[in-house]
Amino acid sequence: MKKTSGLIIFFIILGLIWKNSFAGQEMKVDEYPKVSNRAEEKHTDPLLYPIKFYRDFISSADGNRCPMHPTCSQYCNEAFAKHGYIMGWIMCSDRLLRCGRDETKLSDPVWIDNVKHSYDPVSNNDFWRQ
Amino acid sequence: MIMQIRNAYSVYLPFALVCIFFTIIAVSPSFAGSKSQSVPDSFLILSPDKQFDYAQELFSTQDYLTAISEYKQFIHFFPEDERIELAMFQIGMAYYLGKHFTEAISAFKRLTEKYDETEYSIKSYFKISEAYTNLNAFDLAIINLNNLVTVTHDEDIRDEAFYRMGWIYIETASWEKARRSFSNISLQNKHKYKLEKLAAELDKEALIPRKNPNLAGFLSILPGAGYLYCERYQDALIAFLLNGGLIYAAYESFDEEHYALGGVITFVGFGFYAGNIYGAVSSAHKFNRKKTGQFIHKLKNNTQINLSADLEKKGICLSFRFAF
Repeated sequence: MKKTSGLIIFFIILGLIWKNSFAGQEMKVDEYPKVSNRAEEKHTDPLLYPIKFYRDFISSADGNRCPMHPTCSQYCNEAFAKHGYIMGWIMCSDRLLRCGRDETKLSDPVWIDNVKHSYDPVSNNDFWRQ
Repeated sequence: MIMQIRNAYSVYLPFALVCIFFTIIAVSPSFAGSKSQSVPDSFLILSPDKQFDYAQELFSTQDYLTAISEYKQFIHFFPEDERIELAMFQIGMAYYLGKHFTEAISAFKRLTEKYDETEYSIKSYFKISEAYTNLNAFDLAIINLNNLVTVTHDEDIRDEAFYRMGWIYIETASWEKARRSFSNISLQNKHKYKLEKLAAELDKEALIPRKNPNLAGFLSILPGAGYLYCERYQDALIAFLLNGGLIYAAYESFDEEHYALGGVITFVGFGFYAGNIYGAVSSAHKFNRKKTGQFIHKLKNNTQINLSADLEKKGICLSFRFAF
């Protein structure tokens, strides 16, 4: 009973985070941005397949509703490519924590297809390189 | 009778042929330029004025790339013209205004290598430094201005170079170096550059709100506390709840001997816990960058003097702004 209640609490919190991270912005169906460059992207690294799976099957069905630019999945791809697996994983987690909340008020705005996004590229967060 | 005619024919025939030949030779040049030949109806005579004016017109209509090609044509066809230096400068300006900063630097450098301490070579030095600044190559911008200080014998130009250097240091938040650059400006120009007011404003940099990244990271041992320190309240709450939930779930899983599940949750939890520390440190850096940027922006608005290059007259055009 104790274990079950713990897991339920965990998944509720995880669900709330997920919802906030990827659904920070309401959009009409006809306003969904076109999927761009997906075909050109190369995911040769098998460890990045989960991100590819999310982008190809979940995000394309659910719609691109991430209020950040680049989107969280794109950010994770770039973080892994630029900083390797460990730092990429940490930066990816950090971005999911921040997505859609305070960052939208603090970051510079960028307009994409007439929709306001918060500009938060990898280069804004790899402070040790600056 | 017939014989006489034949003799006369044989005598006069060569003479007649020679006459006809020379007549044709003499007449042919007079037809050479007639319209019956394939000659264009009108001629374009390329004069230095026309060529230069055309390039200037293109420049003024912001057709920079075409203007560059016309200026180059002007330099090629009229290398002795007195406006060659201006044309070279305009090529640099066209690249600069077209935001091709690397090409602009090359064009201005060609000018500074060819001409020593002329009006346009001095302006080129300043433009090179501006182009480097636009490329975020602040060190190269400083080196270029130091070169100008070494080369020039004009006190005013040297002072302007020091003033520009000071502002480049401000852009990089190197406050002490900026102060040193401004202090190198000669006494006669200190008032012109409003240095007293600038120094007073610059001293306010000590009041810029700052967050200590190390402290933010340390506080994040308790998930969310680092974000709280960086004034990110929503992020703090989410970091606390998520990490707390993951840690609790991992503990429960291991406690119930579900090691595989516990391992997966620990793996995910590690990322979010480390991400919470990393994010707090990063947020402190972002906070500092933002506050410093706001201070520099305000400083510029209040104290920076515009140094606009005047193409017609020697000297500097000054303006002063103050934001209330």
